[in-house]
Amino acid sequence: MVKKFIDKMRGVERDVIQAPEDADAPFYAAQAGEVAFFQAAYQQRLPVMLKGPTGCGKTRFLEHMAHKLDRPLVTVSCHEDLTSSDLVGRFLLQGEETVWQDGPLTKAVKEGAICYLDEIVEARTDTTVVIHPLTDHRRQLPLDKKGQIIDAHPDFMLVISYNPGYQTVLKDLKPSTKQRFVAYNFEYPSEEVERGIVGKEVGGMDGELLRKLVAAGRQGRNLKDHGLEEATSTRALVYGGQLMNAGMAPLDACRAALVAPLTDDPELAEALMEIVNAHFGETEAEPAG
Amino acid sequence: MTENEALLAIEEIRQHLEGVSFVAHRDASQVLPVVRERFGAEAALDWLEHARDLFFHDREAGKAFIRNTETAIEACHCLDWVEQAGAFIRWRGTDKALEAFMPQVGEAIAELGAEGEQAWFEIGLRWLGRHLESGTAYFRTSWRELTGGKGSEGIEELLAPAERLFQERRVALGSYIAGAMRVRDLVGPDGLGQWVRRGGDILQASRQRGEAFFRLESPESIGLLLEAVPGYRSRDHARLLQLLQQAWFGRSHPFGEAAWIPGDGRPLADTDGATIYLPVVFPDRDEAVAAVIHVAGHIELGTYDADAIEALFTEAGMAHPPVDADQRITWRPLYAAYGDELFRFQLLFDLCEDLRVDAALDRMVPGHLHRVLELAGRRVPPGGNARPYWDLALASVRGALAQDTLDERLRPLLGPDARLVHAFRIANRLFEASSELPTPDMADRDAAYLPGRGPNASRPVYPRTPGEGEGTPEEAEEMQAARDEDGAGQDESPDVQEDPDWSIPPEQTGGSGGRIGSGINTATVVTGTRRQRTTEQVGTGHPEWDYRDQAYKPDWAWVQEKELDERDPEGVSAIMAEQGATLTRLKRALQMQKPQRMAPKRRQLDGEELDVEAAMDFVTEKRAGSSPEPYVYKHRTPQHRDTAVMLLADLSTSIMAPAESGEGRVVDRLRAGMLLFSEALETIGDQFALAGFASKYRDNVSFYPIKEFGAGLDAEARATMAGINGRLATRMGAAIRHACARFRHVGADRRLLLILSDGRPADYDDGGDPRYLHEDTRMAVKEAVDKGIHPFCLTLDPAGSDYLPAIFGPGHYLVLDNVNDLPRRLPEVYLRLRSA
Repeated sequence: MVKKFIDKMRGVERDVIQAPEDADAPFYAAQAGEVAFFQAAYQQRLPVMLKGPTGCGKTRFLEHMAHKLDRPLVTVSCHEDLTSSDLVGRFLLQGEETVWQDGPLTKAVKEGAICYLDEIVEARTDTTVVIHPLTDHRRQLPLDKKGQIIDAHPDFMLVISYNPGYQTVLKDLKPSTKQRFVAYNFEYPSEEVERGIVGKEVGGMDGELLRKLVAAGRQGRNLKDHGLEEATSTRALVYGGQLMNAGMAPLDACRAALVAPLTDDPELAEALMEIVNAHFGETEAEPAG
Repeated sequence: MTENEALLAIEEIRQHLEGVSFVAHRDASQVLPVVRERFGAEAALDWLEHARDLFFHDREAGKAFIRNTETAIEACHCLDWVEQAGAFIRWRGTDKALEAFMPQVGEAIAELGAEGEQAWFEIGLRWLGRHLESGTAYFRTSWRELTGGKGSEGIEELLAPAERLFQERRVALGSYIAGAMRVRDLVGPDGLGQWVRRGGDILQASRQRGEAFFRLESPESIGLLLEAVPGYRSRDHARLLQLLQQAWFGRSHPFGEAAWIPGDGRPLADTDGATIYLPVVFPDRDEAVAAVIHVAGHIELGTYDADAIEALFTEAGMAHPPVDADQRITWRPLYAAYGDELFRFQLLFDLCEDLRVDAALDRMVPGHLHRVLELAGRRVPPGGNARPYWDLALASVRGALAQDTLDERLRPLLGPDARLVHAFRIANRLFEASSELPTPDMADRDAAYLPGRGPNASRPVYPRTPGEGEGTPEEAEEMQAARDEDGAGQDESPDVQEDPDWSIPPEQTGGSGGRIGSGINTATVVTGTRRQRTTEQVGTGHPEWDYRDQAYKPDWAWVQEKELDERDPEGVSAIMAEQGATLTRLKRALQMQKPQRMAPKRRQLDGEELDVEAAMDFVTEKRAGSSPEPYVYKHRTPQHRDTAVMLLADLSTSIMAPAESGEGRVVDRLRAGMLLFSEALETIGDQFALAGFASKYRDNVSFYPIKEFGAGLDAEARATMAGINGRLATRMGAAIRHACARFRHVGADRRLLLILSDGRPADYDDGGDPRYLHEDTRMAVKEAVDKGIHPFCLTLDPAGSDYLPAIFGPGHYLVLDNVNDLPRRLPEVYLRLRSA
């Protein structure tokens, strides 16, 4: 608690490596065997690849697991300009001196954290090469610029996420990279689990509303590949619930959270709204607000 | 004249009549006292004089006049019409017109008033003067229908175009009037004018076609009417309705068009167990949605499952009827047992089955029953014999929603385990216990359905196997064998009974033939033909993968390169004009992309600008003692040779099918899509090639290069694209292998093969085994990937997600379920692929 308070006082500046706090682990409801899978992989320190659609809980899962395993978590969101030195580190000028600054990956390797490279396909190809030696029996990180090799901390673990979608056809991970990982395929959770998640995340939501919200969202997923590139995510459902909690009429909240962000196609939006209407239809007659 | 004189004159005429006609004399004597009593002797004399004159003019006319007198007086309590009837004497042969005029006149006076009736009469008289038959047709048409509820003005409005038509083109009123009334009732006077103008044009081209147009017998006339009739057009909203099916049931069934024309009863949706047939127009959106959900619900909830139908026949103690040539089954023998009470039973059976399906649907689609109820509340309940059935159905829905007491006999249908056969059983029980219900005719039957519902077995159905696709081939074979057996036993027995319901011959209901994505008809075409063919090895030979042997068949598929010889230069400008807005938007998007494309390459050895970040790294590393390479420049250069793409279009027959929604055919979208795609690529400056393919047998795979890599996009290539037509089948693997060879001399970092298809790989000689060409295509894709070419498939086949992941890999395909979007989406998809 005190630490949190101090963090607040300090503002946003925090070191990337943070030992998990003593509080409860971030909420995560297991869908199937992913917790056991991750624990096994961690025990053997195998690099892990998490696959699955947006907003299905990959990042939350990792936060949860890191807490559970009592390891710090370093998350790096990859983008197209991310180079290997952004991961590994670089020399900085300080006065007349040059100082080596470790990148997040190097820090994680040294301190035995779980390093999570989110959407790794987005990064430049040279980054994937850097992680190769870390993912096999060597467990080493070469620092070419310093002419050093760092042996990974025994607790270090590498996790990447990867979302197979059609935009990345030309940018798929190389098979040689892929096959270095053990992978887990995330799907959207089952209805019951999802209801639990949304209920817990939103907090204090009316049971009937919650049931309808989740049912409507899940129905909408049937339209994936029929014009919808990304289906309604659990996160979107949580947002919808939060809007309802804040006093928005269910129909409007769903439009704002489940329909409008997903599509610009009027017919698709109409179809999605039709689903929402079917679930929340009775409340339509009442004045909004 | 005194009364006595009048009576004397009357007596004279009567005697005269008696001498001429027994019947006339008798009828007149009967009516005369009535007239005299009510209007006095003088009026009676006047009446009798007219009767006599009419009779001598034309015996039938006179008789009709006398016979209808009482009714007319009864209706209007006056004799104003006597003078009018006398006017019919002016022409010969007006007896039929008078016969039609007389029964109507009283009512007309009573309701239109003297003036209105006079107008009605005078218009008719004018027509009689112009053309006897037209006048007769006029009077034969009910005055009430003529007015369209707007009095004599309504008649004027309706007939004004007819006068012009008659004068200019000699179109008789008889060919015009019935159709015109229907058109006016549906689309109003403005629509009527439009319809008449179009008809006039057609008439000029061909008299026969023109008259058929006005009689609403020609497809162009019906088409025009359909376009104008107000309501919710299922064609325009096909995509939404498909999406809804997809959302609720996880899959969607294709739509066909029901043979309904406006003014012809109610628009009802139905199905053959595979396709949902929708009328062109629904009264409103809610009814369309309810109908689609309801009919799809029947398919999903087992109304057309093979075993459910079988159980039905077992229950009825009847042998399973043979499937027809299209593998369809009819329920006709079931209904035949009910003889004259057929429709009564059918309505009850449908009521039970609809209740079962709607109740189950209500659990899947929240609020479905409420919607049905609400829709029914909006409609005017039907009258006559249909009313009791409508009420019964409504009560059952209310009962299911616990708003009303439910007939306990119907209760079992609400359970999740209820099946078709239960509905049949309960319907039989209801049928026996409800002899007090009237016997409806066909029009009553159609009127009796609640909104969204309709006859469940109006056409032969393709029986479904539950969990279709999961069954092992052996099971399917067994079932087929069983069917054949049944069929053999039944074939000789003649059809039990003619059923007036069965007006649709099987040919018209159509198979799965021309629909998008269904590819070619398999099996039936194939057997036999393959053996007779000798294979000619012309062109380039490609291996083909046979999954059964897990081996390649060397030089199996032979590809010939051919030129597409249909060119359509005018089509280019037409498409460009039509797609102008899209093209402008696309070009603007490309302009926006340009700076991004010119984004500097960072960390270069040479360039226009310093890369500050790289320079910093360089300096610091140097200070730190290492000797880094001086990659410190940014270099801006158009990345011309970045991506090379080949668009390979599937030109099989199925692209000639009409588009699922909107006007025109799939091929129109394909042409536009290819044109826009090439324009976009030309603007960007990426290397690209265009080609099409089609096949018939393994030795006759045609590859049509439209534009090669490196060649310019010239008028000829454009004209070729605008003239594309569909032919033959889809041997995709061979085409992919052939296309890959085109990339050999292309120097690009990324090489993309964009395949545009509308159905699964299939050919005439695949022996009905879809897996064979699937597996071969999958191998061809793998070979391409090995060569560094990324194949990506864009498909118009809604079922694409079933087989494309296996062939192209997840994420390497896209199902475009709205064909109208193709022109817009094709370039977009490419741009997204390339910018990834």
